[in-house]
Order: sequence, then structure tokens, then C-alpha cells
Amino acid sequence: MTISWIQASILGIFASLSSMPGMAGSTIGNYTLGRPLVGGLVCGLVLGDLKTGIAAGVAMQLVYIALVTPGGTVSADLRAVSYIGIPLAMVAIHSQGLAATSANAADLAKSMGTLVGTVGTVLFYGTATMNLVWQHIGWRAVEKGEFKKLYAVDWGYPWISHLFFSFIPTVLMTHFGSSAVHALRTALPMDGIPMKTLFTVGALLPCVGIAILLKQIVEGPIDFIPFFVGFTFAASLKLNLVSVTVISLIFAMIFYKLDMAISTNRQPVPNGPNGIIDDDEEEEDI
Amino acid sequence: MANTEKKTLSRKTLNKSFHHWFYGHLTVFSQEHMQTFGYLTSMLPIVEELYDNKEDQEKAMKTYTAFFNTEPQLGTVIVGITASLEEARASQGIDVGEVDDTTINGLRAGLMGPIAGIGDSLVVGTLIPVILGIALGMSSGGSPLGAIFYIIVWNLLGYFGMRFAYFKGYELGDKAVGILIGAQGKAVRKAIATIGGMVVGGVAATWVTVKTSFRLTNGSGKAYLVLQDQLDSVYPGLLTALFIVLCWWLMAKKNISPIKVMLLLVVVALVGVLVGFFNPGLTY
Repeated sequence: MTISWIQASILGIFASLSSMPGMAGSTIGNYTLGRPLVGGLVCGLVLGDLKTGIAAGVAMQLVYIALVTPGGTVSADLRAVSYIGIPLAMVAIHSQGLAATSANAADLAKSMGTLVGTVGTVLFYGTATMNLVWQHIGWRAVEKGEFKKLYAVDWGYPWISHLFFSFIPTVLMTHFGSSAVHALRTALPMDGIPMKTLFTVGALLPCVGIAILLKQIVEGPIDFIPFFVGFTFAASLKLNLVSVTVISLIFAMIFYKLDMAISTNRQPVPNGPNGIIDDDEEEEDI
Repeated sequence: MANTEKKTLSRKTLNKSFHHWFYGHLTVFSQEHMQTFGYLTSMLPIVEELYDNKEDQEKAMKTYTAFFNTEPQLGTVIVGITASLEEARASQGIDVGEVDDTTINGLRAGLMGPIAGIGDSLVVGTLIPVILGIALGMSSGGSPLGAIFYIIVWNLLGYFGMRFAYFKGYELGDKAVGILIGAQGKAVRKAIATIGGMVVGGVAATWVTVKTSFRLTNGSGKAYLVLQDQLDSVYPGLLTALFIVLCWWLMAKKNISPIKVMLLLVVVALVGVLVGFFNPGLTY
């Protein structure tokens, strides 16, 4: 399997659309096209092997299921994971002769994709830095009262940043990377230490994704309890995710009612600026 | 310039403002001004409709040049609130009434942080992993169904959810602030964190598997200790859970960056492979 210039260019356009400050907006861009699962679908269609694409996408998605970017600090920008990592992982799966939906293919995709995905951080900072130029044009326009120019600043000029930091890197890396992946096959045998390590890393990496998400929710040891309750439901009781979510709703409801009861009892006038709203809440609770 | 006639924004302008935010809140992101320009473009149609003369328009737009960054999906509510405040300011006359630059920017700055907190755990921490978790199950055999399911469900929820937030914010105006950061807001945040925690636990147990291949065999090659089975009989998924807690501890308590934690896992994997703790069992 190789990646032609045309295929590489299509991937380049998707990389421009899907990055964190991407050109499709964050709902359609980052949170849809940027998700590795969707990236797997796109790459599968572009490279003409839907099954491997989806399988690689599913594997990569696990690593990044919980990618949170608090305050613009980026642990990994997904444009490189979804549109450079997945295509190259697909090539690697093919060249190693692994079955698309096997666990080995998934582990290879994970380590391959994550390795390449680290480039995303560089691309992210490149884009954000180049955007300073367009913002500078924007401030000049605001000073002069030429507000219509803001539309070009917000929607037009950033394409140039993406040409340099999304499109070109993606095209070059996917086109030339595919032959490098083929060379890798002969250099590294599957049962050697490097490949075994690569596959093991692939299995360990999703732990980081989950931990990043936990960091948002868990502050102390007690906050781990909901996590372990959910874990137990799925691991020991074999419940699926929708069932776990449904059960979690009853706990959420109890905690909400409890919290409201505590806060209305303790402070008759809570520190919220608007007392009328709190009166409404008391009535709701009865 | 005092002007006491009541001004009301047209539905068309509000829609335009919402769509500008929906699309452009992050397109010209930089570390210095993250969503500021997205905010400016979404306030522009509103300012243009409310103020007839150029001077007032410039004065109003200057308000929104202050730094802005929050969780963009839920943050739509803030844009809606400021649309309503701008309407109030235009109705009272731009520089005579009680709604001024300081009120609007104080409110924006006050809401940015809490909304980012709720948004991160509600949207990015719970909603997206749940939809993705369902989608992953549908796609695990290599079927495109899960990916298509995710695209449709997330975009419908994302678009209409943001739309709802915008118009709710506009409708409530500054009354929304009490709901969002008052006692009720805090209780909602806590409840959501509980759902988030349980769902993430479910996601971890369903989709993450760390397994050891360590076993002790007797002379005839029969295994008398299979560590993985022993661990699972204590608590199913124990090793997976331990690795997740370890990663959390490194990042949350030791302030190690995710990239460094990933590199550390590479080292752990290498050592594990060398001592026979990990073995993915590969063959051609």
C-alpha cells in the first residue's frame, strides 16, 4: 500500500479542517473530523481500505478518547494523529501482513499513530504563532473602525497558517512516510524487542488518555469512587456504557438534591448575585 | 447622544451572531488572544444593528477587544448574555446608563472560568466519551456504522445544544449569571462530575486492557502461576486500573506533562518486555 500525491493532498485538506484551531470550527472540525474514529473513516475512504481505516481509527480513538485541552494547553493536536498517524498505521498494518481487526493491528496502530501524533504539538504551536500575524492585521482594522475586515481575519487568513502547518506537513509525511514504513518492516522483525515494546506501549497508552480526563474530575482520593464504581460495573458486571450512564444518572440526581438541600439550609442567601433565582430552587425541591 | 427608545434585536441578527460564533470562535486562535476574534465577529452583526452611527459602533466594539477564552460549546451562553446586555446598553444610550464596558467585561471575565470548568467536564469529559464509547462498540468489527453514528449524533447535539445555550443566554441576560455560578450551578457541576467519573470508569474497563504475560511453570512446562488470572480473581481489571491511577498521579500530583508520561510508559514497556512481564505474543 502506498499513498499517492492526490491521496496525500486530500488528507492535507482534512488536517487543515480538523485541527484544534481548525478551519471547520471546533464542533465540526476538532470534535468531529479530528476524532480518530472519524479520521479512520475518512482515511479508509481515501486510501481505499475502509476496514483497516476504521480498525486503526478505533484503536487510536481509545488513546485520545478523553482529550481535554484546558485553557489551550495542548497535550496532542489530533490533526497529526488522525490524518498522518492513521494513514501510516494503515500502511504499516498492510506491510506487516496483519489482519485489519486483530488485536496486534490495533496495538501497532496505537503506537504508530501516537508516535507520529506527537508532531501535532509542533504543528499546533506553529499555527497559533502564525495566527498572530492575522490578529495583528485585525487589531489595525479595529483601530481604524474597518470592522468588515474582521471576517477575513477570522475566517480567511488562517488558511495560510494551515497551508504551512497542516497541509504541507501532512502531504509530505504521508507520501514519503509510506515508503519509510515499508523499510521498517525489513529492519525490525515482529518478535524482536523493539516491536514487542512498540506493541506493549500501544496497549498502555490509553491509560494516559483516561488519566487526562480523570485529572479534570478527580481532585482527591474520594473523587475516585465514582470512577471505580463505573469501572466495576463494566469490568465485573459486564454492563455496557449506556447502562453505566443510566445508572450514573440516579447518583447524579441524589448528589444534586443533597447539595441543594445543604446549600439552602446553611446559607439562606447564597453568594450568587441574584437571590430571586434561589427562591425558585427551593420551590422546585419541594 | 442619549437615546431612550427601546431597541430589540431581530431574530435574523441573533441567528447571524450565533452562526459566526458556532463557526469562527477558534479559527484565528493564538496563545495571546484565543477566542477574542471569534467574539468580535459574533458581536459585529449585533453592534451594527443596534447603533446607527459609526462612532457608537466603534465604542461598542472596543468592549469586546478584551481577552476571551472558555469552553466554546457551553461558552455560547456567554455570547447570548452579552447580546442581551448590548441591547440594554443601546436602549439606554451607549454612555449614559448603568450597563457599560465595565459591567459587560466584568461579567465576561467572571463567567469564562466557571463555564470552562463545567463545559470541560460536561461536553469533553462526559458527552463526547459516551457517544464515542457507543460508536466504538458499533465500529469495533471494522464497520463504518459507529463513525457515521458519532458524526450525526454529536453534530446534532452540538449544533442544537449551542443554539439553545445562545438563545437561553439572550433570553435570561444577566439573570443567567446566578444560575451558572450560584449554588445551583455548583450542585449541577458536582452531579455532572459524578456522571463523568462513572462513565470514564466504564470506558476504561471496556476499552483499555493492560495484561501481563508473567507465569511460573514447573518442570513439565505446566503453568502453576498465571499472574494475570491471579490479579483478575482479586479484582477484574486490577492491572488496568493501577496503570490509570499511576498516570493520573504522575500528571495531577507530580505535574508531569502527558507527553513525558507517555515517554515513561515507553520505558516501562521496554523494561517489561525485557523481564518477560509484557509479551504481546506476536508472530508473522
